[in-house]
Amino acid sequence: MTAVINIAMALLVAPLFGGWIRKYIRARFHSRQGPPVLQPFYDIFKLLGKEDLRSTPSAILDFGPPAVLAAMLTAALLTPMGHPAPLGEYGDLIVFVHMITIAVVATILVGLATPSPFAAVGSAREIMMHLVVEPTLIIALVTVAVKARSVMLGDMADHVLMFGWTPSIVISILALLASLQAQMGKLPFDIAEADQEVMGGPFVEISGPPLALFHWAQFAKQMVYTSLLVAIFFPWGAEQPFPINLLIHLLKVFAVFVISGLIDVLSPRIRIEQAMFYFVIVIAMAIAGLGLAVAGY
Amino acid sequence: MTGIDLLVAALVALLIGTLLTAVTAHSRTLCGYVAFAAMFAATLFVVQLAFEVLLGGPIVADEPLFTVPYFHAKLKFQVNELSIIFMLITVVLGSCATLFSIRYMLVYTQYRLARYYPILLLFFASILALLATKNMLLFLGLWEIMALTSWLLVAFETEDPEASQSALIYFIVSHVATGLMIFALMIIYPYTEPHSFELADLREGLRSMIETQPGLVGLAVALFVTAAATKAGILPFGFWLPHAHPVAPSPFSAVLSGCMVKMGVYRCLLVFMQLLPISSFSVVSGTIVAVLGTISIVVGTLTAMRQSDSKRLLAFSTIGQMGYIWLAIGVGVAFMPTNPYISVLALTASLFHTINHAGFKSLLFLNAGAALYRTGTRDMEKAGGLIQIMPITGATAIIGALSISGVPGFSGFTSKWLIVESSIVGGWHMPLMVFLGLIAIFVSAATLATLIKFIGGIFLGRLQVGPEVERREVPPTMVIAQVVLALFCIIFGLLPMYAIRYMYTAVAGSLPPDFATPSFSTMFGESMFNMTLGTEAAPSTGAWDPIVILLVFAGFVLLAVLIARLGGGARRTVPVWLCGEHHEFAEYRYPSHSFMRPFTRLVEWMYPPIGLKPLAVPRALLIRLGIEPLPESPPRDGGGGPVSDADATPEPSREPAGVSE
Repeated sequence: MTAVINIAMALLVAPLFGGWIRKYIRARFHSRQGPPVLQPFYDIFKLLGKEDLRSTPSAILDFGPPAVLAAMLTAALLTPMGHPAPLGEYGDLIVFVHMITIAVVATILVGLATPSPFAAVGSAREIMMHLVVEPTLIIALVTVAVKARSVMLGDMADHVLMFGWTPSIVISILALLASLQAQMGKLPFDIAEADQEVMGGPFVEISGPPLALFHWAQFAKQMVYTSLLVAIFFPWGAEQPFPINLLIHLLKVFAVFVISGLIDVLSPRIRIEQAMFYFVIVIAMAIAGLGLAVAGY
Repeated sequence: MTGIDLLVAALVALLIGTLLTAVTAHSRTLCGYVAFAAMFAATLFVVQLAFEVLLGGPIVADEPLFTVPYFHAKLKFQVNELSIIFMLITVVLGSCATLFSIRYMLVYTQYRLARYYPILLLFFASILALLATKNMLLFLGLWEIMALTSWLLVAFETEDPEASQSALIYFIVSHVATGLMIFALMIIYPYTEPHSFELADLREGLRSMIETQPGLVGLAVALFVTAAATKAGILPFGFWLPHAHPVAPSPFSAVLSGCMVKMGVYRCLLVFMQLLPISSFSVVSGTIVAVLGTISIVVGTLTAMRQSDSKRLLAFSTIGQMGYIWLAIGVGVAFMPTNPYISVLALTASLFHTINHAGFKSLLFLNAGAALYRTGTRDMEKAGGLIQIMPITGATAIIGALSISGVPGFSGFTSKWLIVESSIVGGWHMPLMVFLGLIAIFVSAATLATLIKFIGGIFLGRLQVGPEVERREVPPTMVIAQVVLALFCIIFGLLPMYAIRYMYTAVAGSLPPDFATPSFSTMFGESMFNMTLGTEAAPSTGAWDPIVILLVFAGFVLLAVLIARLGGGARRTVPVWLCGEHHEFAEYRYPSHSFMRPFTRLVEWMYPPIGLKPLAVPRALLIRLGIEPLPESPPRDGGGGPVSDADATPEPSREPAGVSE
């Protein structure tokens, strides 16, 4: 049951939140009317029916895009979404983080499997962003793990629910919010895909159904990341009975997506070295939070 | 044949092999097969011995083989669970490396193979013997044979001045390390009662010294650890490693990285688990070992990221991976007096990462060797797309790369997971450890970046090789060696519990009998398929179930493939899209030295203070030894050269694509 909900959140709700909200906000800022609610699904279905154009014969191109989506769906099963994670007993936070790594690896391998220079540049940027964004996520989560004395995501959420925020947890939340746009792959940090510069980066040689999978996985990733953020750091409401806790969770996730969409519309894209400099500061902040947690605050 | 006879048989097989290969060396193929036969026979004996030891407990020989009269040093073989694990690593890698060598060594037409196979087999024999020795004097002797034979093999390409010079550095460094070990033994020897070099007697000697001579104990431990760290390639002592590993013939590079540096790990485990009594020294030295390990993790991996020579990249990455092992040993040792649970967890993790690293790093060196065999270059700028002509080599290289970067489902993940969990759990009692663990996770991502550069540079992308390169897979013997190692990567990734159980047995069996080792099921859970970490007080603090998670993952991959098929769109082959313009490949190639340039520039400040400069050997000494000094060259780790930021605009390559010579 919870497994079905989590998958539905990642496959069905995520495109609405991740695709439509952003498009709608952008349109309103341009004084346009905005697309219909189901527009992200129309896009995905259209791509699914198109030709699959290949420039290189490679098995990586066959299995890369499905692996990205599968990794995000598995990560969705490891994420508490208002209710305990369906596979929470089978994998802890390190496993969760590495499921996201699988998606990153598959994306990069797909990019490098083609001879396109845009894909190579995009892949290099993708891995550099991963190198600076992932530590923020891990340090913030480990901060809570140190407080909760457990690496299980469920225990960590329970700890915040019972004992509330401490200074160290507040700092982790700030660090996570500061890396929110990068995790969501949105402006000002959509440097790896950067349509106007490198034509979608790792995806430049990908078309048709595999591209649909990539887009879908991107939405799922946004949902997984947002869910994790609110489930662990804003867990209030999770103690309610079944439909209410899910609704509260959806509301919180919706709020995060709206904020993220606003930032996306209002931001320019920054350059990769600016982004990395920015994340060095964010990481330093997260480490300070961890130091506080270790000291008992 | 049972018990210790099996070990003797394995040694005899290797020694007979040494003689036979020396005799048959004029036939270049035949002596390769002879060497493999000897190695394989030794493998069978050791595997049978492993069954006996792992299922039945340690085996001690009844009679010493011989005695060194003055020191009463008896060569009495004994095999316990710890040494058998290192023996297994040795023989399995040895078999794969010799099998790989058969065809690979034919390339060296200008050298006589009498300088390769006999020495290689002697090298493996010395390792097997030293693993079965508990007498430190004989241990030193065998250690010295190992050092000398490996030095001869590193110096195999005598016509290459770089190889000679690197081998000389290695020779000097490894003998300084041996000297430190002798010095440490000399410190303890007078306090042993009766005077002897047996490990157990030395331990009692140290125990009596802790009260009376704490300074000397500290000095002896420091000397031992420095010697072990030098062998293991731990910084700041392991600077010889990136020089020696790339210049050796590729199969022997694999053995160096997979097997010989592990002797430093064995040495270190031996010192802390069987020599040094558990005391406050354990806490201090454990912390130091963990910090040294973390320094190696960071420096080794970040330096590896900047290499453009494939084998040098792997050598630096070995430093990084050995750092993980030392971090785990350090955590394990630091918690020995206070928390048996964390201690056993971390030591098990270190041992598991040791065998995993042996598997995937040797595999990667063999992959690099196969690429070198085909293309004749180690320069990643000049290769690319080799997976199209060498599909199996390419696929195994990807498996190796995924393993080393800790992708779930491959072997490196579980051991890194254990290392990180033990440091995080350790951090609840000793805050430093949690930061070391975090650095380890972060660098795990950097390892991924490094290895993506490796496979991206050599195997993926556009095929660019000259017309003289044969466009087919490497010969079957080389393929088999790679596939076997790749299978280990996958098996240890999917079913880690079977291996971990024996690692646990080895750790528990080597710790002193009065150590309160928690039971296996308390620590790792009851099941043989998943891991639930916990203590009696907190039964579940971490979990990893490879089977369930990966089955779910595989199910979703299938689902995604089905979704992609739904639309029924056709597949069509098109040229690479370059915004509608026409360019030659050489004009838009993304050179590997530009890969991740903004990131390496970001961590640039870390390099100058820790820059791994080659040891400057005086020119006079080189000339006297008949080694041609290398010309003054720009720094080889890519730091000083004029490198443009090719992130936004890929810089056109200045030379035509493909192999120029």
